[in-house]
Amino acid sequence: MFQIIKNEWRFLVRSRIFLGISIAFIAILLLSVFLGNYQTQKQEQTHQNATDHVRQQWVSIDEMNPHSAAHYGTFIFKPSNLLSSLDEGVNSVTGNVLRVEGHVQNEITHSEASQMQAVSRFGKLKPALLLQYIVPLLLVFLAFNSVSNEKQSGRLKLLVLQGAKPLQIILAKTFSVWLYGVLLLIFILIVYGILNSQSLTADILARTGLFFLSYGLYYFIISGLTVFFSARWQNATLALTSMLGIWIIWTIFLPNILMSSVEKWHELPSRNEFQTAMKEDRSKGLDGHNPSDKRSLALKEKVLKKYGVDSLSQLPINFDGMRMQADEDYGNSVWDKHFGNNRSVLQKQKQSFQLGGIVNPFISLQNTSMGFMASDNLHHQEFLLQVENYRRDFIKMLNDKQTFGGSKTGDWSWKEDNAFFKSIPDFDYKPTQISAVLSNYILDVALMILWTILVLTMIVFGTKKIKMV
Amino acid sequence: MQLSCNYKINLLVLRLSCIKNNFMIQIQDVSKSFKGDFAVQNLNLEVKKGEILGLLGANGAGKSTTINMLLGFLNPDSGKVSINAIDTSQNAQETRKLIGYIPENVNLYPYLSGLENLDYFCKLAGLNYSKTELEDYLTSCGLASDAHLKKVSGYSKGMRQKVGIAIAYAKKAKVYLLDEPASGLDPLASNELSLLLQKLASEGATIIMASHDIFRVREVCNRIGILKKGILVKELNSKDVSANELETLYLKFMQN
Repeated sequence: MFQIIKNEWRFLVRSRIFLGISIAFIAILLLSVFLGNYQTQKQEQTHQNATDHVRQQWVSIDEMNPHSAAHYGTFIFKPSNLLSSLDEGVNSVTGNVLRVEGHVQNEITHSEASQMQAVSRFGKLKPALLLQYIVPLLLVFLAFNSVSNEKQSGRLKLLVLQGAKPLQIILAKTFSVWLYGVLLLIFILIVYGILNSQSLTADILARTGLFFLSYGLYYFIISGLTVFFSARWQNATLALTSMLGIWIIWTIFLPNILMSSVEKWHELPSRNEFQTAMKEDRSKGLDGHNPSDKRSLALKEKVLKKYGVDSLSQLPINFDGMRMQADEDYGNSVWDKHFGNNRSVLQKQKQSFQLGGIVNPFISLQNTSMGFMASDNLHHQEFLLQVENYRRDFIKMLNDKQTFGGSKTGDWSWKEDNAFFKSIPDFDYKPTQISAVLSNYILDVALMILWTILVLTMIVFGTKKIKMV
Repeated sequence: MQLSCNYKINLLVLRLSCIKNNFMIQIQDVSKSFKGDFAVQNLNLEVKKGEILGLLGANGAGKSTTINMLLGFLNPDSGKVSINAIDTSQNAQETRKLIGYIPENVNLYPYLSGLENLDYFCKLAGLNYSKTELEDYLTSCGLASDAHLKKVSGYSKGMRQKVGIAIAYAKKAKVYLLDEPASGLDPLASNELSLLLQKLASEGATIIMASHDIFRVREVCNRIGILKKGILVKELNSKDVSANELETLYLKFMQN
């Protein structure tokens, strides 16, 4: 088998057309890696500058009423992920700046939520675009006549007469085509590693390894299937047509059809519906800015009773801050309900979409590629959740200061000094652990392994039916 | 069990008969049809070691089907095809080790040189020859040494055929099956091929050559079989007929 692989590679290396295409393609790949990396680094720098600027603004507050500061708020910038320079995933549609303010939670739904799982990457030169769409096409063009050419030229008979078994020939041809895809992948990862050598961590390496595994499996499926068709069909044109048909169905039609179906099965509320439902539920709770609100009055009675006083002016605390926090707590529970609902819908969408991998391994590849490169919806939701938790702590600190900081109810002119604002910690993003990611995408990896086994089985059993004459 | 025992006894008898008669190739009562049409019908042929048999016949006469059955790529519907007393349909892997096959067009790998092609095919057969040995094989088969390292894409048909024969020769094939080998060759190349085949036969190789070329077959082969619609209509020694007589005979059979 080694001899056949070696011979296939001799052909690849000596073919001028192939070498020309390879060099041009590698140049485009290099460009995409450099551009992706440059874009990520620039974005990272911009985000860092913006984060520093916003933090500087915050810590520069001389004195301000804490509740006013809650409305003054701050901004959080989604940290750029080094890995997303390989696969941008949903980042291009989710946005990466979030406002942190009292009473205002960020929404999980956004304008392009309908494409969150299957984002079209056409039009943006990222390595993932080339690795997912173009490399498989190259593999198809390399493999479609690999066996049929041998059959038509009569060399297959000579090979078999020399002792090579048909299965060996087909497997060797599959491996040599697959190896081309894998070498391109390794090349990209090495360039990416060199460009980011100082930032590589165990997490990034593990994710990159899983990224490599996913693509390696997908390339084997494509190579094996094409070589199989090349061996089984009577002519190369039929093998090429079959594989191009499969490529179009797998990469263009099925992901969109499946995503649309999944969205129908597990419907996510529109932005308008989400906002209306939130507004409606919030209206049932306490209004922090309205002292004559019924629930506000009930809270007032409870607090007066707790402190054993008759009026707000006798309270040792500022009831305004307490009312604001109660409003906030209620708003949080409303958000938890709706955010939780959306999260659960998105999770169901994701799980149903993952099952699409049974008929289309490209879906599994897209999922794992985004997932392992930390640019999927799961990572985005995790970021939103961390921002929301930070927002809650942030607003609670401000409301608590308003309540217990020494001011009296109704004293809106009371201000806290700079030391307090400086003491409020900045947002600290904790990246999602690879173990959490892996458990979410184990199904996709398993489906690709099953596809690989299926293709191998087709090769093993299909080879027996290959007509030599 | 009994079947297996009978088969072994038959095989032994066949082998003894082969040794006794010095037959390398035996085709016994073989028929093969495709979609109801006979390609070969009740064919009986025996070729001795060192003998060259020429199969003449028009297109569709059954020459290629016969060769494909000898190669083990087609199994007969009935009858038996054996090489060195080994049934090709039962143990094609074994019989293929003995065969060198030269098709009408020896399509080698055009991006490799003649030497590299020979090396590659030898390695597939598990034979590791040195460069000198490979060059010797090519030279023995008539390929000029200045062509050894040139890419096959620049070879003529005759040169490719010489490499094809060198592949079989280096494999130490005992049987050479040639399907229309002289077709499209210029007279010089065709003559070189004839001399090469005679040389191989003198070294003990058994050769079957299917062809349309009456004159070349008569010149090279010891015996000639004329096939028509899958039936062996005439078998004769080439010494017994002149070229003109053979042509007349052949045309008579084809026209009837």
